[in-house]
Amino acid sequence: MDLSAYFHLIGFNGGWGLQLVRAGLMTLAVSIAAFGFGLVCGTFGAWAKLSGGRAVRGAADFYTTVIRGIPDLLVIYLFYFGGSQVLTSLGHAFGAEGFFGLNGFMVGMLAVGIVSGAYQTEVLRAGYLAVPKGEIEAARAVGMGRMLMLRRIIVPRVLRFALPGMGNVWQQVLKESTLISVTGLVEIMRQIHIGAGSTRRPFEFYITGLLLYLLLTTVSGALFRLTETWSLRGERRGAG
Amino acid sequence: MTPTIALSGIHKRFGANEVLKGVSLEAREGEVISIIGASGSGKSTLLRCIPLLETPEAGSIAIGGETVRMRSKGGRAAPADAHQVNRLRASLGFVFQNFNLWAHMTVLQNVIEAPVHVQKRPRAEAIAEAEALLEKVGLAEKRDAYPAQLSGGQQQRTAIARALAMRPRALLFDEPTSALDPELVGEVLRVIRDLAAEGRTMLIVTHEMAFAADVSTRAIFLHDGQIEEQGPPARIFNAPTSDRTRAFIARHLNR
Amino acid sequence: MDFDFLSDTMGKLLAGVPMTLELALISTTAGAVLAVLLAVARAAFVPAAWFVRGYVYVLRGTPLLLQIFLIYYGLGQFAWVRDTILWPFLRQPYWCAILALTINTAAYGAEIIRGGLQSVPAGAVEAGRAAGMPRLLLYRRIILPIAIRQALPAYGNEIITMVKATSLASIVTLMELSGIAYSIISETYRALEVFLCAGTIYLVITFVLTRAVAGVETWLNPHLRASRT
Repeated sequence: MDLSAYFHLIGFNGGWGLQLVRAGLMTLAVSIAAFGFGLVCGTFGAWAKLSGGRAVRGAADFYTTVIRGIPDLLVIYLFYFGGSQVLTSLGHAFGAEGFFGLNGFMVGMLAVGIVSGAYQTEVLRAGYLAVPKGEIEAARAVGMGRMLMLRRIIVPRVLRFALPGMGNVWQQVLKESTLISVTGLVEIMRQIHIGAGSTRRPFEFYITGLLLYLLLTTVSGALFRLTETWSLRGERRGAG
Repeated sequence: MTPTIALSGIHKRFGANEVLKGVSLEAREGEVISIIGASGSGKSTLLRCIPLLETPEAGSIAIGGETVRMRSKGGRAAPADAHQVNRLRASLGFVFQNFNLWAHMTVLQNVIEAPVHVQKRPRAEAIAEAEALLEKVGLAEKRDAYPAQLSGGQQQRTAIARALAMRPRALLFDEPTSALDPELVGEVLRVIRDLAAEGRTMLIVTHEMAFAADVSTRAIFLHDGQIEEQGPPARIFNAPTSDRTRAFIARHLNR
Repeated sequence: MDFDFLSDTMGKLLAGVPMTLELALISTTAGAVLAVLLAVARAAFVPAAWFVRGYVYVLRGTPLLLQIFLIYYGLGQFAWVRDTILWPFLRQPYWCAILALTINTAAYGAEIIRGGLQSVPAGAVEAGRAAGMPRLLLYRRIILPIAIRQALPAYGNEIITMVKATSLASIVTLMELSGIAYSIISETYRALEVFLCAGTIYLVITFVLTRAVAGVETWLNPHLRASRT
């Protein structure tokens, strides 16, 4: 492979550089949105499994079992096509004409978010169970109210135990965001595919995609590890 | 007559810590040698050097008159011939402090594993022999149990049967009762005592002084990586010449 | 609810099950063999360790869909690839998908087996060495049996992940379960019903697999199943 030709191809001087950067930002944006939505789903899921009544717990179990047994691609199809199916019929019911649908970003955020939420549920649940019961008892003993205890003791402690698992879920979200390309949303995967098709240089483009994702997973992985180290401050192992 | 085991000038260091500083030792057929000494004196390391579980930096090891061939590998000593080492290992029986049974195999499978797969003996023959050995250590009815289902004493007796199944020319015991609850020590010592009475060649690293005095034909006191004193147990345990030996014996017999 | 449509859809979707299972079976089997080789090479053979670490890092750090595209669309760019005897395979989406799934699962599997290898008690290995076992025998009789038992629950999850991952093969035109689901949806725009049918089939497959893995686990671990006497 001729390196200078390659750099010209993906560079900013008449190359695809700008599009790739924009696509990279889109991948990040949709991944962060999906991860955030997944965190919300996961919080509700964990809460339901830990303290819900029988019906609520059953619903949460159903949610995590179904999601973990079904391909993510199907969930994306469900939101992409099913979303428009529902919205269009709703629209017609209210007398509107024509076709309504969710855009690719919304589909990605909701579908990947709900999928990752199932994994977040387990991560957060395990994180809560790892908090020593004595610490919660101590909080109760000093007279903390429910909300105060949640905010000051439980959430920080659960996050500390759940952080490694959350890091894994984030990596998964980042990689799954490629599936959103089927909706036409121009994130890295889609942009790479477009570039490969229009230049007839698929190998260079897919390798570039590989490097871009490797960059994203490596950097974000390092950030998660830094946060983890920070969250472990005060919990010494041995000296130091 | 060639000694069953002959060690000469064994040196072994772990990093900056020199654990063995030139130990020589011969075990003749039928001898029962107990090796005693404080923790850190190098007695376990010495025993582990015999089947090359540790590789000494200097010195020579001969088993049944056959010297282990060594070579220098990147400045460190290493066995020259892995086949020779495996063959010699298979001619010794080693009993570990922590039993080291294979958890995924039953008692019987543990005992026949090496005879069948290392020594390539016929399976039926190995099973018949293993059953006899399990009978001997009092575990005949446990042949299909898994190690996790046994008490520590039963596990160690299984390990002894496993070592015997190799038809070893010598048995090496590395603190065989140190990991056991006190009430289980007796059953294991009884088995070892029976083996000694059969005239088997044995080297025993132990903290059980009374047992060592009783069972062995020779006692060796190791101090700081060297043999401080050795001789008949009657003399070593009752009238040692070295002050260090005397102090050590006094401390341990009182327990 | 339109039961005629549901049963009609179910019938069409079931026709895709064999290909889904085929893709999963071939790639998990080949991937598992590769995973064991990679994990053992990493543990036992120093020069290979760096290669294995790089392999695992790249394959786990990048999306599977991209790996499939790289193999399917990327390799054919080179004339010399088209001249090899492998080209009749590499030009087919079926074999490209299997190749990508295999090398992908091998990377995850290698890490799982590595964890299993690390959990093998040092004492069990030492007892094998003391009995005179050569390295290969030690791996075959002691180390791998213990490591694989340890790794099995995690490997079960990886197999489930692979069954779900076969759906990506539909993006390179294969008509397995998800591919058929997509084509029915794009003809009828009845995504909810099709999702219901396809989802049910996937759930049944993953449920059966989960039970099977649990069964194998119990069967392989009589020493854990039996209570202490």
